[in-house]
Order: sequence, then structure tokens, then C-alpha cells
Amino acid sequence: MKPTLLFKFVFFVMMGFVTQLSAAPLGYKNSWMVMGDFSKTYQELSVNYSTTANDAFGVSVSAMQTNDSVTKQQNAEAVYTRKVARWNLPNAQANIWFIGGLGSITGNTFGGSKAMASPGLQVDYETTRFYSMASARVYAAQGATSNITTARLGASFYEVDYDQPQPWIVVEAKRMTFVSNQYEFTPMLRVIHNRYFVEAGANLSGQLRFNFMYNY
Amino acid sequence: MKNMKLINLIFAISLLALSQAALASMKVTVNGMVCSFCAQGIEKSLLKLDETKAVLVDLKNKVVIVEAKEGKTLNEKLIKEEITDSGYDVVSIETISQTVAQFKERMKGKK
Repeated sequence: MKPTLLFKFVFFVMMGFVTQLSAAPLGYKNSWMVMGDFSKTYQELSVNYSTTANDAFGVSVSAMQTNDSVTKQQNAEAVYTRKVARWNLPNAQANIWFIGGLGSITGNTFGGSKAMASPGLQVDYETTRFYSMASARVYAAQGATSNITTARLGASFYEVDYDQPQPWIVVEAKRMTFVSNQYEFTPMLRVIHNRYFVEAGANLSGQLRFNFMYNY
Repeated sequence: MKNMKLINLIFAISLLALSQAALASMKVTVNGMVCSFCAQGIEKSLLKLDETKAVLVDLKNKVVIVEAKEGKTLNEKLIKEEITDSGYDVVSIETISQTVAQFKERMKGKK
């Protein structure tokens, strides 16, 4: 990858042009990945299986609700994750991911369930001390389409050996149009260690947030 | 008698050389390894190889050390394939005489 292209790519990520999720959304070949994302307005639990280092198939259930808890929606979907591109650099890694789901939604603003498709893109760039990510995902259903856009920046306190836990500070800007058109800012503490990855924090309104990933 | 001594010496040297070769490790320089969470696939896939005794992923120096089981020889091509299949780029591979434990000790000494 030429340096100018790399610069453009990093700039693209930093600007948060596309945007959701956390580290790599799939594990190594023939491994399972369990992921969770929990806050007042969004809860998701998903699991996928990587058939290659580039492809994973899984299922996800999620629920969204407005801050006043009046409007609610639940999503259940089969999800395909694909690593579209990776750039391996001497001290960094950059990726483009496709995440697409097909399933159904239910909610308290309409009766029954509706078919739903949820295509999304994620781009990330990280070194052993710096992390950036941007993602966008649309939850498209007739009369009930919403989207989630996310940008994240993170820095680790220090480099670690492979078998040591690594703490990070991560700041996330996230907009869920189902909840609000405003971006929500959440600083979090992240710890990565071999098989697991956990994040905990609170947004500027004091709402708690907890994420995890476990790969086995 | 002299010939017997010479044959014995050659035999002993050959045995020693063979045992050294069998115990050799490979030091692989890899691009793209940035965290243990994402690099664990490398460790898992290399440990599955029949000839692998131990694997060390050194994130700071961007190298992977693969140690062979006694009497087994590491397959450079296979190691490269496994790392590439895990999603990383192999920059170089060299044979070293250190074991994983010895390499770890050396790294500790450098801190």
C-alpha cells in the first residue's frame, strides 16, 4: 500500500465517514466469537463462527429503546461478516469489514413482525498503542428503518507482551437514529487479553455501558 | 584402528548436527500483529502442526518463534502458509538455535 493511500485511508477513518462495532468482528479460522453490547438504549448479544480468517457466520439478537423507554424495537437476524480488505504494516493493521444481517424486527409502534436487512461497513486502523474505527449500519425494514453510526478513538497506556492484559482508554461517538439524531459520547476503559476483550464506561448523561468479546 | 576412530568421530559429529537441526526453532517476522486478541489465531494454528512443540508471539518485536518437537523438523512453507491464512504477512523466516524458553529469557534480559 502506498504511503499516500495509507494516509488517505487513515484520514478517512479519523473523519468518521463510515462508522459501528469494536475490534475485529470475527475471530481466527475455525473459532467462535461471542459479543455483547449493553447500554440503556441498546443491547445486543451475538455469536459467530469463522469458517476462514475472512468469513464468519452467526446470529444476533438486539433491542433498542428510546431514552424515555416509550418506543422499543427488537431485532433477530442471521449475520454474515466478511473481511473485505486488510493492510498489514510493520507496526499497524488496517481493515475494511462488511457486516450484513437478514432477519426480522418487532416493536411497540407496529403490530407483528417485519422483514429486516442490515448491511454495514466498518473500517479500522490500529497499532499496538493507537486505535481508530468507524462504522455504519442500516437496519432497513418497511416503515421502520434506522441506522447506527459510530466512530472510536483509543490509546493504550503501554505496550504489553502477548500474554499480558492491555488496558486502553477509548472514546466513542455513536448515533442511533432510532433513539436520537444526536451523537452520544462515551469514554470507556478497555482491557484486551488473549481470548477476551471487555469495555466499560458511561456516556455523558451517566448511562452505563458494557461491551465484551470472547474468542475460543 | 585409526579408521575406526575417524568413523566414530564423524558419526558423533553427525549425530550432534542432526540433534541441533531437529531442535532448531524458526523466527518469523510478521507484519500486522498489533494485539494479542487478534494475533491468537497465529498461535493456535501453529500449535496444531504436528512438528510444533511451542510457539511464542512477540508483539513488541513483531516476531513469532516456533520451536520444533524433538526429532521433528519444522516446515518453513507450512509455517508461512498458516500465518498468511491467519490474515498476516510474513516478512522473513530464519532458523535460530534458541528454544522458545531461551528466547523469552533473552527478551526479559533486554527489558
